[in-house]
Amino acid sequence: MSKFIIRRALGLIPLLFGIVIISFVLMKAAPGGPAQQFQRNPRVTQTQIDEWLKRWCLSADASPAAAVKEFAGWFGIYNCNTESIFSEKGGLNFLPSSLGGGGNGIIHGDFGYSIDAGRPVLEMITERMPATLMLTSIALILWVSIAILLGVVAAIKRYSFFDQAVTFFSYVFYSLPIFWLGLMMIFLFAVTLRILPPQGIVTPRAWPPFNTDVYWAAFGRNPIGAIIDIGRHLILPVTVLVLANVAGDSRFVRASMLDALNQDFVRTARAKGLPNRTVVMKHAFRNAMLPVVTNVALEIPFLFSGAIVTETIFSWTGMGLLFIDGVGARDYFLLMGILLITSAIIVIFNLVADVVYAVVDPRIRYD
Amino acid sequence: MTLTVERATNVGPPAADVLLDVRDLRTYFHVMDGLVKAVDGVSFTIKRGETLGIVGESGCGKSVTSLSIMRLLDIPPGEIASGEIWLDGQDLLTLSPEEMREVRGNDVAMIFQEPMTSLNPVFTVGDQITEAVVQHTRMSKKEAWNKAIESLRLVGISNPERRVKQYPHELSGGMRQRVMIAMALSCDPKLLIADEPTTALDVTIQAQILELIRKIQDETDSALMLITHDLGVVAEMVEDVAVMYAGRIVERGTVEDVLVRPKHPYTEGLLTSIPSKGMRGSRLNVIKGTVPNPFNMPKGCNFAPRCPYRFEPCGAYDPRIEDAHPPDVACWLYTPAPGQTSAPRQSGPERQAGPMTTGAPT
Repeated sequence: MSKFIIRRALGLIPLLFGIVIISFVLMKAAPGGPAQQFQRNPRVTQTQIDEWLKRWCLSADASPAAAVKEFAGWFGIYNCNTESIFSEKGGLNFLPSSLGGGGNGIIHGDFGYSIDAGRPVLEMITERMPATLMLTSIALILWVSIAILLGVVAAIKRYSFFDQAVTFFSYVFYSLPIFWLGLMMIFLFAVTLRILPPQGIVTPRAWPPFNTDVYWAAFGRNPIGAIIDIGRHLILPVTVLVLANVAGDSRFVRASMLDALNQDFVRTARAKGLPNRTVVMKHAFRNAMLPVVTNVALEIPFLFSGAIVTETIFSWTGMGLLFIDGVGARDYFLLMGILLITSAIIVIFNLVADVVYAVVDPRIRYD
Repeated sequence: MTLTVERATNVGPPAADVLLDVRDLRTYFHVMDGLVKAVDGVSFTIKRGETLGIVGESGCGKSVTSLSIMRLLDIPPGEIASGEIWLDGQDLLTLSPEEMREVRGNDVAMIFQEPMTSLNPVFTVGDQITEAVVQHTRMSKKEAWNKAIESLRLVGISNPERRVKQYPHELSGGMRQRVMIAMALSCDPKLLIADEPTTALDVTIQAQILELIRKIQDETDSALMLITHDLGVVAEMVEDVAVMYAGRIVERGTVEDVLVRPKHPYTEGLLTSIPSKGMRGSRLNVIKGTVPNPFNMPKGCNFAPRCPYRFEPCGAYDPRIEDAHPPDVACWLYTPAPGQTSAPRQSGPERQAGPMTTGAPT
């Protein structure tokens, strides 16, 4: 097993490399870029722009050679100051600085600065992550549990009124666009009924911005009040996420459970005279959960990448909103930082899914 | 036009030496295209400790009969439209689902066709046997575990202490079928139903498994109902045999009577279609035509369209084994048809023993 994990972990490196190259190419292919971004600010002089671009190996030139140089600089193979693959100390740039390498690029832990905000990318990501994790993990736990419950009951009571109702509402919520659903919820609960806040993580006049030092100080003074405040803000975005995702997942669980219930071993279990509950919840359920485990493991990266549409609609200052703002501003370093971190989490959770799969299914052996 | 004949209707429980008494069982399936009469009036009995083989081709209703006895059919689409199934003095069809659960695995145990898929892949063999034992006896988990090891040893699995902790995928097909048999035997059932227990296995393993079932049936004195399409298996394994065609029993009797002197043209056709050494080079005999469409059963005798001996009454009247005079074959060749005074035949054509024995696994 450990051999399998090591082999797979090593295989992740070229995979991640491929992912970042493709994302970089796609990003470069889009019109606009940092140079144009600076042009919008009249107080920035051309000299400052040139210096900044040089610092990050960027150029206004759109040739493929320039793009390769930009990528190599971001990655840390190319040194932007010496304009070569050697560092100031004379060693190959990709080596650790202690061995004579340079200090730039992600392989040296330097994710760069946000062009728009002028702050380190890593700092911005860590600042936004808690808000996203809070929203997405609550939503994921809720929708997975509800989906399993609905899916299993629908499978057991196949073609019953309950099953038909679950099917009907699944299709309804699966088809409704999230942005419309979100807006309608805001309209109904925040604007018309005025029982829930329309957007944000905290009430702006009562609490400082979420996840700042001032906020945590205020949180310490009145934790219950703070939790209630966040809780009220969570209800609408969590509901939207749950409604939209329960639909697909409950269909998946239902199909998987029906499949398991039709297996020969379920008939064997009945032939042994086991009570129906044991047959369904032990024999069928355990087998039905095998594909569901994979499915849920693949949904976990969503916890970190954030829900772009939901966060935008509810002004939830998390990763999704950070990403969409980065796209708008052509903020290369911010986008690449987020893409790298989320794709790393995706591939790591793929590996975790494989390992968990081996634990729940004795037929799988990885040696 | 249907024929109504006064039938000897059994009322109340059967005699004490009769373990299983199936009376006029009718199991129907309500499907999209209509009603399928998978079992359409089947009656038979098995005495304590005796063996009965049910033969017939795919789709003749033999598996549905066994699943009806176990009440393991999905209802709906299935429906046991009528009939009585007396097991050990109680009519299984009148039991509540709870009471029926006590019977399953305890009084009647079943061995299925597919050992590869009949065991749950995510539980150990021991867990799956223990489960049945704990369900039906007062044994503790520990005692049941030991019982599982003991029953694995009984079915000839070597090193049962190790095997009991293994998962089904770690065992071969023959081994899994042994586990299924061990599971079926773990609660000492009075009736063992084996539904094509060797169909999915290698020929070499088939003989071993059949021998094991026979040996165990001998030793435990439980009754055996063996469902198969293999006449060779029937010849080797059981004393009595019932031949099914299109949801009905068309002929029954002892193995010698039915396999050596088949009366029903269908049984005869089955026996002559078995390839044998002596027939090498010549064309294989086949029963012409196909099994009737369940939505469009022929008028009169179900087998008539394929029957080489058909004559006038066959297309008009439906022969029932219950009405037969020597009461063992549903055919107008042996029972005078309505409006006729005598039947064309008194006994079946004598056959050489050849094809029957060559069909057996050797």
